[in-house]
Amino acid sequence: MILALVLTAAHAMILLAISPLLVGLIRKVKARLQLRQGASVFQPYADLVKLFRKEPVISTTTSWIFTAAPFVVFSSTLAAGLLVPVFISHVPLSFAGNIIALVYLLALGTFFLMLAGLDAGSAFGGMGSSREAIVASLTEPAMMLSVFAIALTAGSTNLSTVVHQTALLQGIVTDPAPHLMAFAALFIVTLAEAGRVPIDNPATHLELTMIHEAMILEYSGRYLALIEWASALKLTVLLSLMANVFAPWGIATTPEPAGLGIGLLVYLVKVAGLAVAIGVIECMFAKLRLFRVTDLLGVAFILALLGLVFFYILRS
Amino acid sequence: MADTESADDVLKAEFPPLVQIERTRGDFIQFLVQKELLPAVVQYLHTHPRWHSRLALLWAVDDRPMREGASLHYLFALDNARQWVVLSVELEGADRLFPSITPHLHAAQWYEREIRDMFGLIPIGHPDLRRLVRHEQWPKGTHPLQKRFPWNKVIGRQQGEYSFLHIEGEGVFEVPVGPIHAGIIEPGHFRFSVAGEPIMQLELRHFWKHRGVEKLFEQRILTDAVPLAERVSGDTTVGHSLAYCQAVETLTGLEVPRRGRFLRSLFLELERLHNHLGDVGAICNDTAYSLPHAHCGRLKEQVMQLNDRLSGSRFLRGVNRVGGVTVDLTPDCMTEIPKELGRLDEDFSELESIIAANSSLIDRLETTGVLTARTARDHAVVGVVGRASGLDYDLRRDRPFAAYGELAVKVATYHYGDVRARMRVRVDEIHESIRLIKRLCATMPAGPIAAEPGLDSKGPKTPKAGEWALSAVEGWRGEILYMVMAGENETIHRCKVRDPSFVNWPAIQWAVVGNIIPDFPLINKSFNLSYAGNDL
Repeated sequence: MILALVLTAAHAMILLAISPLLVGLIRKVKARLQLRQGASVFQPYADLVKLFRKEPVISTTTSWIFTAAPFVVFSSTLAAGLLVPVFISHVPLSFAGNIIALVYLLALGTFFLMLAGLDAGSAFGGMGSSREAIVASLTEPAMMLSVFAIALTAGSTNLSTVVHQTALLQGIVTDPAPHLMAFAALFIVTLAEAGRVPIDNPATHLELTMIHEAMILEYSGRYLALIEWASALKLTVLLSLMANVFAPWGIATTPEPAGLGIGLLVYLVKVAGLAVAIGVIECMFAKLRLFRVTDLLGVAFILALLGLVFFYILRS
Repeated sequence: MADTESADDVLKAEFPPLVQIERTRGDFIQFLVQKELLPAVVQYLHTHPRWHSRLALLWAVDDRPMREGASLHYLFALDNARQWVVLSVELEGADRLFPSITPHLHAAQWYEREIRDMFGLIPIGHPDLRRLVRHEQWPKGTHPLQKRFPWNKVIGRQQGEYSFLHIEGEGVFEVPVGPIHAGIIEPGHFRFSVAGEPIMQLELRHFWKHRGVEKLFEQRILTDAVPLAERVSGDTTVGHSLAYCQAVETLTGLEVPRRGRFLRSLFLELERLHNHLGDVGAICNDTAYSLPHAHCGRLKEQVMQLNDRLSGSRFLRGVNRVGGVTVDLTPDCMTEIPKELGRLDEDFSELESIIAANSSLIDRLETTGVLTARTARDHAVVGVVGRASGLDYDLRRDRPFAAYGELAVKVATYHYGDVRARMRVRVDEIHESIRLIKRLCATMPAGPIAAEPGLDSKGPKTPKAGEWALSAVEGWRGEILYMVMAGENETIHRCKVRDPSFVNWPAIQWAVVGNIIPDFPLINKSFNLSYAGNDL
């Protein structure tokens, strides 16, 4: 019981601690690829500290949703994160929910962000929410299907079981085709969910082109800090999902100190590698036209679906 | 047969009441037109296939104290004739009404509204008489360019609201953007009517930064107003100051030495180079493709540092003066500049091939924000934007100034009118500018860099009050026009400034229709117009 509490607390601390670093790392990679020095990778921490100290300004036209949304978004994202194995394959909270719970915990945060975007009644917020609704409705099925492809091989929708089985290579088809398909699908989903290029541009100041940023334009001070942190957390959760569901090698399968240490190290290397990949992609591509985003997400869905089909073909 | 006839003979034959005003200089012909006859002459000039003319400038002058009354002048650029035609209409005494030509010639719409605001003259028959420059909070009767309006008068405020054009219907929303923007952008208000993401209508509401530039010109003497011209639009320092200086030189009969003219062309091309480099990067950046933005920023910085080394100013401030230039370049510079720009050219060519090979970028640029040749012509669009829509104008080739008479300028033209075409015009012009600068350095003549105004006994003279001159310069955005009219004792009676932005802004309203809202910033960036140069 105490071990479970300690492990869960450590799990949460790690997610919270490394999420700003990942954002900083992506920015650094982009800067270096553009021959710029770039800000320190620790800059996002400084930004969060600064924002937490600032007084929030709240529009008089908003309702309780506006002030509640940052807390809902932050806590739902963190809860989702606690379902994803990070350094040990069996998370203590695995009884609380499976992959479907994870998808909808993330969707809950998105839903409240969309409401908050509409709440202040500004034109930009409304545009952001309407665009986010398109993107979210298309990423959801692709995300579910891609994890189902893995869940099928492991015979469970519980993430801990999936990761545990995969890590021990129990009941896993040796052909990697379904895995790769589902991984590609989840990668696209991650770019969309985390609001990265080519779906959204987190670095822009052009309100008219924004999706995620447009929804949170009205936020300031600690509310903004919470939302910024939550979106960094969401990125971290998605990267962890990719790192550990598809390549759980190195993760601790039993709670022994040495294994846990190695598990953590390997985990950090894996998510850092994925973050670098995102940074490289952001330097190579222009953002898609808004209505072409649906095509890309359609590709993600088809990839995930093919992963499922391949699973059945390969098994029979 | 018509092409060989000169414009004045044909016009006089067509409209016998026209009175030609004899001019001693300037390559344009001027007619005094009776008020009632004006629309007919304008329509003839605009629509007759023989002329295919473009309204290049429309300005008003308060002729007091020389003559009791105001006058209006219409400058037409003729495609088929080198000479430009100026039609002048004189209003007598307290007459405030003049016939609007906007119903015949769309390009006159903003000019006439501007004249109404600044002079209180009313274009009869104008379809849209809402205020343009003079926002609603300016008190009634405030017309700053009237001679009886003191330049330092502090005006009060009144209540008032601009009425936007509304589209009504289910699912139609208005999205107001600006005048305060995120990022470093000048103030401008854009009012979109959208149905979902597609834009049904865009209405601009600009003129938020009125500084009274034209009024300030009138407080200065001819040789003393160059710094003011440089600051009309900060990114077009050389273009504006050159256009101003040329107008004054025409007025005072100053002959700029050959080396001075070569240096002017060189500085103008350097200005074109650093602005175009910045624009190419910025267009890419607005699609979130940040790599070219970083590299273009680096290349632009190289050019600006070169500017700094050559002239002491990154923006080339203070290089032009009436009579020539202030900065001479050493023979070392003439070898250094081509070498440095040669390296830059190679660098940029490499970047260009990376940009051209990026299909995700090209997909964003193609077919986005198409400005058709027809719309461009109707708005008399000039410069980069015009050339991207197939309007093959470039003053450097068509009406050579500075050293361009001795250079063969290749003009980049594209016909698609989309964002990509506007970017490609800029890319081509970057290479062409580098080529021209190398050529200028190689053929740079020796000699003085400036004529001395007032010192030379035979040449320069003080212009008589009421004499005026026109000057046209192809700045990096496009055609910059200046009309300078002398007053008593070398003062400036009137200086009309026309930045290309003033004619290109209205065209953007049509280029965005049918595009989706998130593509607007990209389209706007591909036009990259000046808000300050537009407002004055």
